[in-house]
Amino acid sequence: MILEVNDIEKSFGGIKALDGVSVSIENNTISGLIGPNGSGKTTLLNTVSGFLAPDKGTVYFGGKDITSLPPFQVSRLGMTRTFQITRLFRGMTVLESMLLASKTQDDGLFPVFFNRKKLMETERRDVQKAVEILDFLEIEHMKHEYAVALSGGQQKLLSLGMALMADPRMVLLDEPVAGVNPTLANKIFEKVMLEKEKRTFLVVEHNIDILMNFCDIIYVMNKGRIVASGTPDEVQRNETVIDVYLGG
Amino acid sequence: MLLDYVLDMLVYIGIFAILAISLNLEFGYTRLMNFGKVAFFATGAYTSALLSMTGASFIEGMAAGMLISALLGLLVALPTLRLRADYLAIVTIAFGEILRLFFLNEVWFTNGPMGIRGIPQPLYSVFDNDYMLFYVLLVYTTLIICYLFAERIVNSPFGRVLKAIRDDEEAVQAFGKNTCMFKIKIFIIGSSMASVSGSLFAHYLAFISPDMFYPTVTFSVWTMMVIGGSANNLGVIAGAVLVQVFERGTRFLKDFVVLPIEPSNLRVILIGLLLILFLLYRPDGIIKEEKNRGLL
Repeated sequence: MILEVNDIEKSFGGIKALDGVSVSIENNTISGLIGPNGSGKTTLLNTVSGFLAPDKGTVYFGGKDITSLPPFQVSRLGMTRTFQITRLFRGMTVLESMLLASKTQDDGLFPVFFNRKKLMETERRDVQKAVEILDFLEIEHMKHEYAVALSGGQQKLLSLGMALMADPRMVLLDEPVAGVNPTLANKIFEKVMLEKEKRTFLVVEHNIDILMNFCDIIYVMNKGRIVASGTPDEVQRNETVIDVYLGG
Repeated sequence: MLLDYVLDMLVYIGIFAILAISLNLEFGYTRLMNFGKVAFFATGAYTSALLSMTGASFIEGMAAGMLISALLGLLVALPTLRLRADYLAIVTIAFGEILRLFFLNEVWFTNGPMGIRGIPQPLYSVFDNDYMLFYVLLVYTTLIICYLFAERIVNSPFGRVLKAIRDDEEAVQAFGKNTCMFKIKIFIIGSSMASVSGSLFAHYLAFISPDMFYPTVTFSVWTMMVIGGSANNLGVIAGAVLVQVFERGTRFLKDFVVLPIEPSNLRVILIGLLLILFLLYRPDGIIKEEKNRGLL
């Protein structure tokens, strides 16, 4: 198990956004997380990635307790997330954004003045890696454009690219294909599939059809709880899931 | 006499350009709302002045000022940089005023409202008649060093993180960066640089008093940065030139035209108008931020 979430609870005022959620995710799998709006999917992602502290419960990542670590430390341990509404850096180009995401960057103050040579070496390696990933995602030709000048779909690709650039063991994707045309959406998931042997994915998505095609395991949330989980086939036949989605 | 006037203006432009670059590092690149720029300017001026009165050299005074400003910067940054951006603005503006009142009231230490007179000027005996010219060179050498230093910082992976923090701090944390540390570091650097400018100011005038360090100094630096071009170090230097020329130019106006209002008020009004016009028609400033094409 790479990720183990045990009995997490999180309330906002009187609303229980997460009401005893437990999830176990195995290495090198793609897990989907579905559920109606407001069922707690993004809250779960925020809690796992350290952006929110849970009221109760624990989160273990790679056997290490990460329950109340700040986001930057969770990220350093090898878990990178993307955001639902693509959050790109306005003043930065595609290439700059990619470089920022790299974990090997010499981003201290000391190398700026005293170890320029090593800094440039790392930079060269990072640029090469960034270009490879951009090429893989087919947006290499946009590398010197401002990130916000990309189309909606390309922005989603870039945020996936930035997540990959960090070379994490686990990637949390929050609605990676929302608002993206079906062809490109499929392409994005095909890219994710190709990365599967290297890392583990947890994907929140409203596009259920696409998840059914690409995921190994699907978790279904409703009102802050996991109401069903299993392979796509099992989930599709599950009565509760049909209830949740068709309104029971 | 005209030459002296021009040289005097050049010194002021240089001193303020250094301040503008230091604010640019904090706000232009990182969005840190430092409304207490004057505090670190004053720290540099007073440290240099007080130390040189006891016999320390110009360089020693400047170095001590940088160190003390860095420590004060850390003191202000530690509790506030973890909070929302606007708290830093409130705390820094208060800090500037507290420091000014301290210099005003601790007469035993700073000679209070009477100020400090006869601050020795570096190498005065050597240059004597050409002293103004020497000081212009001194100020501009320092300015060039500060400019190159700032450029080196912003064109590095460190600077890249600063720019990303400016745009979306949470998203930067998602990539494993401890954003708070970056903000503290650049705030300390900005504070030290402002202190350098304060030291140059004190030794130039050979006299300083607390009424030179009102918050208006801070606002003047902000105006230079906004007009010049936030996140462009050449731009903010251009901003310093424009604002200084404007401020001084309007002083002469009273000799040529009869005005229904006090001429010194007119100056403030005109600078305000200039700022508004820039914000409306050229919000990126004289020179806008450049697109970064990488370090290689």
